[in-house]
Amino acid sequence: MNAPLLAAHGLTNWFGKVCTALDLDVAFHEGVLTSVIGPNGAGKSTLINLLTGHLPVQAGRVEFRGKDVTRLPVHARVRLGICRSFQIVNVFPQLTALENVLIPALAAAGRTRRFFSPVSRETAARAEAEAALERVGLSDHGGKLASALSHGDKHLLEVGVALAARPALLFLDEPTAGMNPLERARLLESIRSLSREGRTTFVLVEHDMDVVFSLSDRVVVLHRGEVLCDGAPDHVRADAKVREVYLGQELEAAPRQGALP
Amino acid sequence: MWKSLARALPFLLLAALALLPLAGERFVTYLATRMMLLAIFAVGYDLLLGQTGLLSFGHGAFYAAGAYALGFFSLHVSQHPLLGVLVAVAAAALLGLAVGALCVRSSEVYFSMLTLAFGMMVYALVWNASDVTGGDDGLVGIMRAPLSLPGLSLPIARDAQFYYLVLLFFAAAVLAAWRIRRSPFGLVLTGMRENATRVAFAGVPVRRYRLAVFTMSAAFAGLSGGLETLLESSARPSMAHWTHSAEPMLVSLLGGLGTLSGPIVGSFLFIALREIVQRFTEHWMLGVGIILLLIIGAFRGGVVGTLHQLVERRRARETAP
Repeated sequence: MNAPLLAAHGLTNWFGKVCTALDLDVAFHEGVLTSVIGPNGAGKSTLINLLTGHLPVQAGRVEFRGKDVTRLPVHARVRLGICRSFQIVNVFPQLTALENVLIPALAAAGRTRRFFSPVSRETAARAEAEAALERVGLSDHGGKLASALSHGDKHLLEVGVALAARPALLFLDEPTAGMNPLERARLLESIRSLSREGRTTFVLVEHDMDVVFSLSDRVVVLHRGEVLCDGAPDHVRADAKVREVYLGQELEAAPRQGALP
Repeated sequence: MWKSLARALPFLLLAALALLPLAGERFVTYLATRMMLLAIFAVGYDLLLGQTGLLSFGHGAFYAAGAYALGFFSLHVSQHPLLGVLVAVAAAALLGLAVGALCVRSSEVYFSMLTLAFGMMVYALVWNASDVTGGDDGLVGIMRAPLSLPGLSLPIARDAQFYYLVLLFFAAAVLAAWRIRRSPFGLVLTGMRENATRVAFAGVPVRRYRLAVFTMSAAFAGLSGGLETLLESSARPSMAHWTHSAEPMLVSLLGGLGTLSGPIVGSFLFIALREIVQRFTEHWMLGVGIILLLIIGAFRGGVVGTLHQLVERRRARETAP
């Protein structure tokens, strides 16, 4: 396999006396759609926080395209192409949906340091922003305030904002949470087609096993801050330890919700 | 109709201000000058508070930096008013850059407390270094020399003449603030007010942008402070006091936070109100405070914000089938 797009070595993180990542080694490869799963408290969101710079790395190293990014701030990692969406909707509520995606589009184009020219003249960034809205199916809502969007649409906008930053690697933290089946299908189709285009490598944190196993090329199972299993979906599904600590309970607790598109 | 009126309003205001000294009322001209000075201060301050969501209690220090810089320059180097104003703006911006670099690392209440602490440090410095700053008396005897340009010399000694210089700077400051608000940078500032974390995850270095807007608003304060020194022929330590820092905040709240016209309307109302109340009682601060509380309480979103809502409602009624 090629050199990983992003690799973490020996990541360790403590919240007080609670260890949320313990000597964790994990890598994500270009074009491989990966899902990170595990029970609540397994360290999935912490892993994203550490890799994207949202939390400082206490021990270990993070490399992106072979370059050490461990100490880089969030914005510098985003400029390199490491982006994310949040589990809890994290958009600009009093800006329109278009303005929400315009900010990362302007930043990606290096146009945010223009102090006196009107934003309406930024036609290239605007086109990029509109394309991001279209990818998540929100083209018709560009003029609406983000706060006025439905919960599902806010989640779609959250993904749109992340996409507008032109990510090479995009972490999506429970992207389908709170979405109705139609919205979910729309988002999954977008992820699938964008992944196929190859511009963006996706890493999903998901609890919905239908989404995970229908979409992923690879699944990483975390348990108590450590990698329990890592491999193709069928391999992970058949793994006895995974079934014991997570999948067994998950499948019993939440029966299959029907085939995904 | 409402849209056309809104577009015409700035030009009508500018025309009214340009015609004002012709009425010949010296005191009214003086008051209008003070209104514009406060508006310059407030328009810059609102870039920080209204647009970016950062509450500073230290902008009096930048106002004083501009005022004293112009005073020193005028007394010891050159009395050229334009050069003096340039020095005032540069001094305030430099101080803003230095103070901002230390403050923008914190956010919310910590940011506000740091600006208060630095602001009061500057106040104490100005007050105590009396050999240099004149202490309690401040810097006095600053002349309004003619504005000499190649082939042209314009006197500004009379209040009505100086008024037009202030009007020019007022128009330039409002134009600059208007353009900043509509720019990509302005959109990022609004984003930082809404959600600084998301802005960072959009690839924008939040601290650097905070520092940029902090420095810009300090430059506006310095411009206002420098012009006040020319107006009053003196720079006083009270300019750096935190109560003076609270003035642009108050007028922004009064007029409408986060809007361009709000701080301007708020400044004009504040100066007019203070002048009227001062005629009736020596405890004018108490009177003005009560009236301001009532206005701010009654007009959520400030005077401009409330008017905007009323116009929107009326427009919606007119367009309803």
